[in-house]
Amino acid sequence: MLLTADHIDYIIKDVQYRGIVAEGVGDELIDHICSATEAEMQKGLRFLDAYHTVLRSFGQTSGLRDTQKQVLLCYHSTAKNMIKNYFTIAIRNLKKHRFYTFINVAGLATGVAACMIIVLFVLSELSFDKHHEKANRIYRVNSEIKFGETHYKLAQCSAPLVNDMLQEFPEVEAGVRFRSRGSYLVKKNDAAENIKEENVIWTDSSFFQVFTVPLLQGNANKALSEPKTVCISKKVSDKFFPNNDALGQTLILDNNYTVKITGVFDNMPESSHFNFDILISLTDMDEAQSPSHLSNNFNTYLLLHEGSDAVALESKFPAFVKKYVGPQAALAVGEGFSMEKFIASGNKFEYTLIPLLDIHLHSDLGGDFAGNGNITYVYLFSAIALFILVIACINFMNLSTARSSNRAKEVGVRKVMGSLRPHLVGQFLSESVLISLFSFLLALMIAYISLPVFNMLSQKNLSLPWSSPLFYGILLTAAFAIGLLAGLYPSFFLSAFKPINVLKGNLSLGMKSGAVRSSLVVFQFVISIFLIIGTLTIYRQLNYIQNKKIGFEKDQVIVIHDVYALNKTAQAFKEDVLKNSSIESGTLSGFLPVRSASSWRNDNTYWPEGVPLTDETMIGLQTWSVDYDYIKTLGIKLKEGRFLSPDFLSDSTALVINESAAKRFGFMPNPIGKKIVGYTDNLPNGAPDPASLRGRTVVGVVEDFHFESLKENITPLAFFLEKNYGSAAFRFQAKHTQDVIQSIEASWKKLAPTQPFSYSFLDEDFASMYKNEQRLGETFGVFAALAIIIACLGLFALTAFTAEQRTKEIGIRKVLGASVSSIVLLLSKEFGKLIFIAFVLAAPLAWYAIQWWLKDYTYKVEIGVLVYVFAGVFAFMVAWLTMGYQSIKAARSNPVKSLRSE
Amino acid sequence: MHSTELLKGTLQTIILKILADHGRMYGYEITQRVKELSGGTILLTEGALYPTLHKMEAEGFLQTETQNIGKRVRKYYTLTAEGSSVVAEKVNEFIAFIKTMSTVLNVAIA
Repeated sequence: MLLTADHIDYIIKDVQYRGIVAEGVGDELIDHICSATEAEMQKGLRFLDAYHTVLRSFGQTSGLRDTQKQVLLCYHSTAKNMIKNYFTIAIRNLKKHRFYTFINVAGLATGVAACMIIVLFVLSELSFDKHHEKANRIYRVNSEIKFGETHYKLAQCSAPLVNDMLQEFPEVEAGVRFRSRGSYLVKKNDAAENIKEENVIWTDSSFFQVFTVPLLQGNANKALSEPKTVCISKKVSDKFFPNNDALGQTLILDNNYTVKITGVFDNMPESSHFNFDILISLTDMDEAQSPSHLSNNFNTYLLLHEGSDAVALESKFPAFVKKYVGPQAALAVGEGFSMEKFIASGNKFEYTLIPLLDIHLHSDLGGDFAGNGNITYVYLFSAIALFILVIACINFMNLSTARSSNRAKEVGVRKVMGSLRPHLVGQFLSESVLISLFSFLLALMIAYISLPVFNMLSQKNLSLPWSSPLFYGILLTAAFAIGLLAGLYPSFFLSAFKPINVLKGNLSLGMKSGAVRSSLVVFQFVISIFLIIGTLTIYRQLNYIQNKKIGFEKDQVIVIHDVYALNKTAQAFKEDVLKNSSIESGTLSGFLPVRSASSWRNDNTYWPEGVPLTDETMIGLQTWSVDYDYIKTLGIKLKEGRFLSPDFLSDSTALVINESAAKRFGFMPNPIGKKIVGYTDNLPNGAPDPASLRGRTVVGVVEDFHFESLKENITPLAFFLEKNYGSAAFRFQAKHTQDVIQSIEASWKKLAPTQPFSYSFLDEDFASMYKNEQRLGETFGVFAALAIIIACLGLFALTAFTAEQRTKEIGIRKVLGASVSSIVLLLSKEFGKLIFIAFVLAAPLAWYAIQWWLKDYTYKVEIGVLVYVFAGVFAFMVAWLTMGYQSIKAARSNPVKSLRSE
Repeated sequence: MHSTELLKGTLQTIILKILADHGRMYGYEITQRVKELSGGTILLTEGALYPTLHKMEAEGFLQTETQNIGKRVRKYYTLTAEGSSVVAEKVNEFIAFIKTMSTVLNVAIA
């Protein structure tokens, strides 16, 4: 070795000084130079001379650098290395600017998580009833009946319709009917205790032919074809027959109807618009054999032949109505009736078809099976998901472009060093893709954690499809797509800088791209303010409905369900319960003014006595069977006359009506003593029996009260004095609630130890009628809050950035005597203006949307200017608070610090 | 001295053949070996040699190992399996090229 350590040190330093620094290249060249120098020295040259001879052969500094550059170029032309390099730099950059990275990732992850959950929700809503193999050939028959002011839109039609249609229309392959009679108390043959089953339906044996519900045991062609046979779900089978031997066994329904099990079917999936556990054969129900086309109680589904045209079939319905319904209606109304005249005078009797797949989202009719969704919500939630995602992406874009001035120098240096535009674009895109990928990962976790909360809120049973490769594929694609989309604008924007301008410092780009950024901020806040107003409106409307004077006192009333199970002892039960001094009064009746599974009420046609029966004079009237204490217990106010009373024996043919009925019958101003008449029975051919004409005398009028959802008007109503043990209700004193429940249960157990005891409170039942709206409100609120938080996150970072940019300016201002408050004002003015513009844009949009939503409600809350003002002020406050922190921090900083450096 | 223009296309072949004959070598050693074999008429410039070496490494023909010699770090190149498999092919290709050239230029090779 001729070279000493000192020589080598010298060479290393000198070569590095000449700009050979690249990893991997430098060492190699140094070794080469050392070897060559040694060779020269062996020829007798001194070290320095030898070294310079070698350098000369390299082409001096420029030759060395050229070699390095060539090596690097060949190195970078391989994609793998370049991408590795992009990612290394990206990670370093993201780490260096932790704060902005955090804002980006947090915003995007929350947005994506919200989006994911909503997409799951929407997909599950859209997937209803798809599991039926013949789903696209199945249609339900809806009916619409309108005469005078009575207007029914029903998901049901008459009993004989299915058979008549099968005969009349060759397109119809099969039909199936459902008839609900509420819940049933079920027990095994030898068991003492009853179990209450909610999802019980009467249906035709063609059920298994039309719908895809696999039978686990039994024969699909024979099941339900005989009277007193049932099919039960796996769930019920497991409950009653844990040994899996249900087939052929018997069950007893409501203590008196013994049925044989002829099939066990697989539990119906949640994504079905009906969900039954017990199917009872319709063959044993008298009503199902009735030829009357005038009462509509059957949910009827038709299976059409392959290739049949539903629209063409529908167009034949008016002729069908004329042929089958016309004669019966003429008999009912009397001479001179004709379907043509009936229709011509603005009335309606129509059947329509709705495809099975549309029912869940598009059907909201009387007689629908509970739990239908609403296409509006699907649209609404999809829109929110999109909004949230857009807001998060905007944050990302805004921050990247805003910070461009900081990176302008980097871009300049890179370009001078030989970076080409594609390199820079690649660099910035890989940064955004990295953020996006990371956000998606985080989003998955957030979605996983928050899904149970959403499920609770929406009463759904959603889960992330962990096992589906498609899910990961979509996620990955989406992550890349969002990363590329969000990074595209900044990367092209940044890579377009001219290095000479940037390095000279001529370009203060951070401020220049302000117009785009400002409009994006405005857009974010338009959405946020819109959502705030929307949420407030929904809440106010719900509150309004629930606190509106509904006309009866729903608080402190306990409702006991399934009192019919007590049978003849129901009256004794009521008396026994009333012995408790905390209970003020009680009533046994067929119907309470809330929707519930077990309730009986009738819809029938009546007209004032002594006037001819025409479609003008006949009035659709709901009649409820009640006892003497009904209005006292429910706190319904009497307007005129008296309520049904044991003091008058004649009250069995009396009735009490509500104000609406009194008006419709034309009994005002003196309704007391007037009589109405109506048929009470049908002839075997389906027409009303003239011999069954009965009259009743009005003895009292009660004030109108709401007994349907407040989306609907109050319809005519009458109370009949009749024994009916559908449900019992008791008014009690609030402070003794627990005691009351215990004492009622004790009375129940005494009289019916084998029957299940269940109760609820009237006000809660009432609130549950607005469950859907309530859920909508809450879910909407959560997502609106999310959107606002993400938007504010962006604003927060943006203000932080502006403050950072203007540190020097603020420092100089302070030195020249500016006060803290004037600086805070200066910093927040810019964004304040943007939020004001956003408010001006959002308010009319929100107004329009609210009008659209409220049009469904008969009773709507007044949305005053105050809501709008509040939303505006709230958005401004939130934004100001986010900005305020940064502004005050900037304004309070010591000017010396900002001015001394650099 | 041959012109660098002529050398450009043959550099990879030279490196492959030399490494195939001598096994492990470092950059300077390669230049010296080439100089020796060509009787001083072929001088590989560093500016051409190193980028080619790196390119061949990236393409998978060569592999490297480094060794510390005192204060210096020496990087040795050897052929990978893939590299060894193409040596003969490259050399034949070049011989065929020379033959073609001799016909084209209408001269006989000594």
